[in-house]
Amino acid sequence: MKPHHHPDITTLMAYSSGALSSAFSAVVSAHLSICRICRDRLRETDAIGGQLLSQQEGLPLSPGAAERLMAKLHDETPVAAREPHEPTAGHDPDLLPSPLWPYFGRSYRKLSWKWIGPGIHHVRAEGATEHHLMLLRVAPGRSLPMHTHGGSELTMILRGAYDDTLGHFAPGDIADLDGETEHQPVTAPGVPCICVAATDAPLRFSGWMARALQPFVRL
Amino acid sequence: MIRPNPPSPDITPLEVARRVSRPASQDTDNPVYWATQMAAVATRHDVDAFMHVFAHFGPRLQRYLVGLGAAPSQAEELVQEAMLRVWRRAGQFDPLRANVSTWLFRIARNLYIDSVRGEPHWLDTQDILEQLDDLPSEDGATSAESFADGIGLDHAIDDLPPQQARMIRMSYFEARSHSDIARELGQPLGTVKSNLRRAFAKLQAALRKAP
Repeated sequence: MKPHHHPDITTLMAYSSGALSSAFSAVVSAHLSICRICRDRLRETDAIGGQLLSQQEGLPLSPGAAERLMAKLHDETPVAAREPHEPTAGHDPDLLPSPLWPYFGRSYRKLSWKWIGPGIHHVRAEGATEHHLMLLRVAPGRSLPMHTHGGSELTMILRGAYDDTLGHFAPGDIADLDGETEHQPVTAPGVPCICVAATDAPLRFSGWMARALQPFVRL
Repeated sequence: MIRPNPPSPDITPLEVARRVSRPASQDTDNPVYWATQMAAVATRHDVDAFMHVFAHFGPRLQRYLVGLGAAPSQAEELVQEAMLRVWRRAGQFDPLRANVSTWLFRIARNLYIDSVRGEPHWLDTQDILEQLDDLPSEDGATSAESFADGIGLDHAIDDLPPQQARMIRMSYFEARSHSDIARELGQPLGTVKSNLRRAFAKLQAALRKAP
């Protein structure tokens, strides 16, 4: 998977600084899990945080903080090497990107898709992010109505593809859209297009597919 | 929006703090120095080196965490936890990938998101993402340039236009969302984002210039 569309650098900066909501962070993490370019860029945004950290004057810690820490060291042994990494994503085509497991489970096959319109299904994320994060599956060769976005939306293509004025979006690609974008996605023929989308409006759909679905999904 | 001509940026408490004094020692400004201390922790379990790292960075982590909104007592607990992670994971620190300060920033941020923001998946996800780069990439490319020199970045941050520097600090040290920053500064979100993009481009250039 070699993505061609990446999150905007400001999105990575927000992720790096801890300012991104958990729904948006989940989509960014999913992309990071397959994109080395963005992992390298994230190291650069983290380096800004590190530099700022070292430039600041500290706040004094309470007396005894050093002794408390020292006392804990005796119970802990430094680990020389990392524990072996459980081999996961990338090999089994049924596996979702691992950052999405807590929200949707591991397996595409086990997803319980809900019909929300002709050719369109979705799965809401579990937990607190349910209103902000969802999987969408759109049948191949489907054209969605022209629309703009009420708020920001971050979408990652997981399977299939779509085209719009911004280009061709294939697995791994990110559409990082703000309220200004107007477009008309058309899913590619062949296989359904599955994507994970985060929105910043809890009870109101916004964004490329979601806005098109709004008539079908009354909340 | 409300103020067409944004006022010149106020001096935040953080900026005051850093203007008061800078460490006199050259050593503590040098990332290589801290990487050497961490190597002593990793290879010899050197408690003195570790406590030296704590003495320097502990109060800085405290300011960072309090700035993010943690209560002082909670921040202290997180500093302790962060330092214990540093001790336990000293062998995983790779000076070619990050400065000690960047590594500490990441550890403290992750603990903050985990415990203060209460996002239970964040720590595991970050561990998985970090381990991905332990493996060679599919095309055999090596990852990232060396960040062994933070001096260039130091100057580049000082050289940013005040408005950009302020946005960077609000973003990193208050974990404010960009729309929140836009509201506070009375500027359109697009303006904040383009300022942050410009700031990043300058800082990235400084990072990549480093030997």
